[in-house]
Amino acid sequence: METTLSDILQDIRSIYYYAPLAIKVAIIFIIVAVSATVLAYLVMLRSRYRNYRQQRRMARMLPKIDELLMNEIIANPNIPHDVAPSKVALDLEPFDELPLHKRWGREMLTERIIHYRNNVSGTAGDLLRNLYLQLDLDKDAMRKLKSRHWNKKVEALNEFTLMDMPIADVTILPLANSRNRELRAAARQAYIKLSKNEPFKFFDSVTDPLLPWDQVELYRIITTTTDIAIPNFARWITYSSNKSVVSFCMKLVVHYNQLAAVPAIIKLLENRDHTLRAEAIEALGRLKIAEVEDRLVHLYTSQPLFCQIAILKALGRIRSGRHIDFLRNEFLHSTDFDLRKAAARAIVKNEIMAREVIDELLATTTGENLLILKHCMNPLIKY
Amino acid sequence: MGKILLVEDDEVMPKIIARILPPPEYEVDIAVNGKEAIQKLEANHYQYDLVITDIMMPYANGFEILSKVKSHEREKPIPVIIVSNAGNEDMIMEGFKLGVDDFLKKPIIPAELVIRVKRLLMRNK
Amino acid sequence: MNSVQEILSAFYDSAIFVYGLTLIVVYGVLAVLSIIAIRRYLNATRPSQLENLMSSPLAPGISILAPAYNEGLTIIANVRSLLTLNYPKYEIVLINDGSTDDSLEQLINEFDMVAVDFAYHEKIRSKPVRAIYKSRNQAYSNLLVIDKVNGKSKADAVNAGINAAAFDYFVCTDVDCVLHKDTLLELIKPVMQEGGKRVIAIGATLRIANSSEFDEGVMTRMRPPRALLPRFQEVEYIRSFVLGKMGWSAINCVPNVSGGLGLFDREIVIKSGGYDHKSFGEDMELLTRMCGFCEDNKIPYSVRYIPKTLCWTEGPSSLKVFGRQRTRWARGLAQLMYAHKSIFLHPRYGRLGLVVFPYNFFFELLAPVIEASGIIIYLWLGLTGNVNWPYAILLLLFVYTYAIMITTLSILWDQLSFHYYKSVKEVLSLLIMPFLEFLLYHPLITFYSLKGYLFFLTNRRSSWGNMQRQGFRKAKTTT
Repeated sequence: METTLSDILQDIRSIYYYAPLAIKVAIIFIIVAVSATVLAYLVMLRSRYRNYRQQRRMARMLPKIDELLMNEIIANPNIPHDVAPSKVALDLEPFDELPLHKRWGREMLTERIIHYRNNVSGTAGDLLRNLYLQLDLDKDAMRKLKSRHWNKKVEALNEFTLMDMPIADVTILPLANSRNRELRAAARQAYIKLSKNEPFKFFDSVTDPLLPWDQVELYRIITTTTDIAIPNFARWITYSSNKSVVSFCMKLVVHYNQLAAVPAIIKLLENRDHTLRAEAIEALGRLKIAEVEDRLVHLYTSQPLFCQIAILKALGRIRSGRHIDFLRNEFLHSTDFDLRKAAARAIVKNEIMAREVIDELLATTTGENLLILKHCMNPLIKY
Repeated sequence: MGKILLVEDDEVMPKIIARILPPPEYEVDIAVNGKEAIQKLEANHYQYDLVITDIMMPYANGFEILSKVKSHEREKPIPVIIVSNAGNEDMIMEGFKLGVDDFLKKPIIPAELVIRVKRLLMRNK
Repeated sequence: MNSVQEILSAFYDSAIFVYGLTLIVVYGVLAVLSIIAIRRYLNATRPSQLENLMSSPLAPGISILAPAYNEGLTIIANVRSLLTLNYPKYEIVLINDGSTDDSLEQLINEFDMVAVDFAYHEKIRSKPVRAIYKSRNQAYSNLLVIDKVNGKSKADAVNAGINAAAFDYFVCTDVDCVLHKDTLLELIKPVMQEGGKRVIAIGATLRIANSSEFDEGVMTRMRPPRALLPRFQEVEYIRSFVLGKMGWSAINCVPNVSGGLGLFDREIVIKSGGYDHKSFGEDMELLTRMCGFCEDNKIPYSVRYIPKTLCWTEGPSSLKVFGRQRTRWARGLAQLMYAHKSIFLHPRYGRLGLVVFPYNFFFELLAPVIEASGIIIYLWLGLTGNVNWPYAILLLLFVYTYAIMITTLSILWDQLSFHYYKSVKEVLSLLIMPFLEFLLYHPLITFYSLKGYLFFLTNRRSSWGNMQRQGFRKAKTTT
């Protein structure tokens, strides 16, 4: 008797047909599971192979790229010193040995150029950018910027930001209000770095919170871009209804020591939002605005705990020595440990003027308070 | 002629520095992490004219190397330059407390590094 | 007699079938959710980001808490490796939990430490602190050593560390864990990227260190464990973290942040009362209380995981130690479910009460019981000749292939994202594990879990201190 394939299939079909529901489900799942497992193996093999190929290419290419960048750009004695680095006509011929007709070749070179620019700036940095342009490496990123996928757009924006490539405002601004958070953040960074007109314009319109992470990246871009016109941040501190923008602007005021914006920050001491008020107090302390000390001491009793700590810290930073009695009082009589510690630290920071008070406290206090004082006075303890 | 120990875990930076501080005027010895740096210092009995170091590296960070170099008994302590992208205020302060001679933030301007290196080498001549 | 069997069969045909199907669907959904979460993570990751944070004055401070009990062999190397982590603003709080070896002397000598007058404020109760040490060398200025009376538990040691910590966030680890150099940057990043909700805890993938190469506390070569038992654990960790935790993270239902590595919001931890030194699963117990605290106080919170491996831990390689570890975890789970039973299905506790707890109750706590009883009943039915063998084998095959698929997928997700391990051969050595797991490893876990439940029910106290001490070295990182 002959059993053909169709007979077997027929058998399976009849087993399946007469089986109870549980068995039917089981059979289906077995088929699904086996094929998914096989598929997973294949995908894994393919991915490992691609990764391996990429590694091999890098091992081969990178030494060549490094050699070229060194000889032609970083340490090339033939580069004229009297021409602006962005105008120098570079000798591109040696770069023909790289596979720049392939996309992976261009990507690898671009990545390396960016890596170099993270390490060197000045003339060398400008020459690297010049090379990037003359080799038309920006074309790939241009294409990515038009891609439908947001992550491609983000990649392009990052590349442009790192390479200092101007993009038209009309291209970036719509992206800066995109619904995708990543894209929005990348576009804002690009805008600040690359916009020729008003780099801080989007502060006016941003309604969503600038997340702490976005602030880190923006802060870096703003403070490391050399040819950026720094506006008076009081404008947003006073008028922005977005708390994160206000808080971020205060950090920038501190960084630039922008005294013109101080009155706007002082106004924030009346703000109803505790966090914002604490941040304003901190900013004033960092700016060492001695004129607000009386105001801070006056406000003190009506504040929540973390604003009180902020006030004590600010008094420590301003170091005018005019409110040592207040600090001493807080240190001795506050019931909260953190307040006493902050007060002690502020007294110690005012050391030059508070020498006598410190000596007196050392001689008279006991127990935990003495420990707090010694803790704050010990140069080995940082926090 | 100056013998320089460069401690840096990035792969590109040593290549650049080796080029902008070329022999025979300079001899740049490269350590790719803190452990190697300390080994080289000890193997060479601290016979370096200058140390350039990053801060964050495996095994021992830049501050540790700095404190090792500065606490080593010598007629004149070896000058140290920190070259790092981690340059917040606290770190710069910490570096100066430990006696760093110069602090450069990445990305560096190569010409500037050369001038600072020259100046520190001159000072210790 | 026959009717009893019929009832049992009917029960197994319906209830257990539904149970099994639900579990299978849950795993299928987790597999999909996890790949979504991993893709989201990878899309939001660019190499320059961590560099930016590292040089930023806006980076929040982090305290690393590392409890140590008699770790004299490795303590110096491990502290050194913690000192070289990439982060602009952090401190290391090493808690010497009354070690009886020379750990403390070694630390004092190596890092030039002196006892200081430290204003230690006990926000959470712990065993008394004997002294606090700081280094005279400025280069180690972010190292703090607490010497305390042994509290016979990691929980007690970490609580003392929380009291002394200076920053708003703390990372809890074990001193014998080896951390990736970017651990702090990686863990804080998602916290800073979360809008609207407060991230109260975040964890990352753990892996088994056994056959990897380390040099003075720095990972130099990652390799799957060669020995069978640790290799099973490696595969289990990949499944549990890359597929399980990432899947739960996508819908903000992470049940536990592993004690091996996790970053926590210090304020919430303190307000929730810190770690419970009586718990056998103190990490999960704390997270449950933290989530409960946030629900009670209407704080919108989230607990997250990232798929990248940031921590390597030594997995037990002997059956004895392994058994003790798993018995302890199971006991911890039972203890936790019992102590917080009021949360179970309580709508006020939102996703904690309606998703996390029911899932853990039905599919973590009950699974070993159901499996074991299922096997016994099947044996009985088999002996009395009441099993339809072809069907039984089909059902078994179904569970077997599905389990293999899920584990293989988790290894795939891991491979697609990070290409860990050097050669295909090493990956293959992991890929054969799911085929064996069902027969060798899984029965072991079921057995130890049941043993743990038994200990919980009988409230066994014998060898408490001893086990805790042993456990402190090896059996403390729950997945």
